[in-house]
Amino acid sequence: MNENTHEADAFSPHEPCLVKTHLFEGPLDLLLHLIKKNEVDIYDIPIAVITEQYIEYLDLMKELDLQVVGEYLVIAAELSLIKSRMLLPKPVIEEDELDPRAELVRRLIEYQRYRDAANELIGREILGRDVFKRDFDMSVYVTEEEIELVPVDLWSLIETFRDFYRKRSHLWADQIVFEVESVTIEDKIAEVLGKLRVKAVIRFEEFLEECASKFDLVVTFLALLELARMENILVVQEAHGSPILISYSGEPNIGTY
Amino acid sequence: MEPTDIKKAIECIIFVSDQPVSVDKLQQVFTELEKGDMRKYLKELIQEWGALGRGIILEEVAGGYQFRTDPAYSEYITNFNKRVKKFRLSRAALEVLAIIAYKQPVTRVEVESIRGVDSSGVINALLERRILEIKGRKEVIGKPFLYGTTGEFLEVFGLKNLSDLPTLKEIDEISKNLDTGILSLPEELS
Repeated sequence: MNENTHEADAFSPHEPCLVKTHLFEGPLDLLLHLIKKNEVDIYDIPIAVITEQYIEYLDLMKELDLQVVGEYLVIAAELSLIKSRMLLPKPVIEEDELDPRAELVRRLIEYQRYRDAANELIGREILGRDVFKRDFDMSVYVTEEEIELVPVDLWSLIETFRDFYRKRSHLWADQIVFEVESVTIEDKIAEVLGKLRVKAVIRFEEFLEECASKFDLVVTFLALLELARMENILVVQEAHGSPILISYSGEPNIGTY
Repeated sequence: MEPTDIKKAIECIIFVSDQPVSVDKLQQVFTELEKGDMRKYLKELIQEWGALGRGIILEEVAGGYQFRTDPAYSEYITNFNKRVKKFRLSRAALEVLAIIAYKQPVTRVEVESIRGVDSSGVINALLERRILEIKGRKEVIGKPFLYGTTGEFLEVFGLKNLSDLPTLKEIDEISKNLDTGILSLPEELS
């Protein structure tokens, strides 16, 4: 039901580790390994020997307390079936009779073909390992270029703010303010610009989500409005109704503030 | 505009792009240029950059052009920039990727029948990394998703396009061998 590799964490850290297939990627991989190890012809697999070793390996997995997954058992059953078929004397000689191993061999070869292709792929000059491209956050350009961004009108912005406020207001309903907050819009503007210098595009709601109090929320909103008015930030979205994005458009225009 | 200026402008555009720049994209800027001329300039640019013998290489990749570093110096880059996204793919992921790259569009079941193991987790992870994408649905019972590779896949593996993939060992030969009886029953058994 599952496959795992020692590198599985790169992908899905939550996958239970059922089989330590840092040795084998699956039953076919194991079979290919056995064929290679025994130096036998893939077109003429000594089924009895291979089956025995295959089962031995499964037993070993059990001993090591590794759960043997279903796929390994399916192939084990298939091997046993082939083995018994090969032992059975044929009552009638049929010309077209295929070797009982044929289907398994076909699968093995096909699998091997892709396994080789995978090895070839990883042998290439990989971006991020062997070769590198320029590393910079182009998300703001990419979004502008590839997706038609529409400017957000003031009403959508206010509506989004209102919806957010309504959803969150209960959080602050019984909040007791111990001190007079002294965050000014100027402070907030500096904070917003600081964040945008680090990350070129930030969701509008992300700014709001970070607010600790109602007061903070209002100041943040006013700061964003002010920045938009001064054209220091762009307030855009991919389409009406999609998340509102804030991006940095230039240094603050000190003169007008 | 002089050809030298055009070439300089082209390399500027490629330089500032984080994705391979296609001829089509370039044409949106140089509207007066024929595609053939554009390709010629790009070819010349690749040669000129190559002739410089510098650490930066201009390369044709994923249907476009991109500046990349010379693989000989990868170590220095990773040492210098710890932030660089390290490339990691498990063997399972590579197998799935190889099957899908060559057989696309292909369903999960088809991938699994070749590998002999469940591959859903790996496919999902590759989808998340945008190396794979859903290409559509197969018109069979259950309408399963058809998967294929993305431009990012080509970019990561430095491939110009899908036909740039190394050729697979011919399976026809194998099936032929099966048919011509190399695998027919041993004498003593038949």
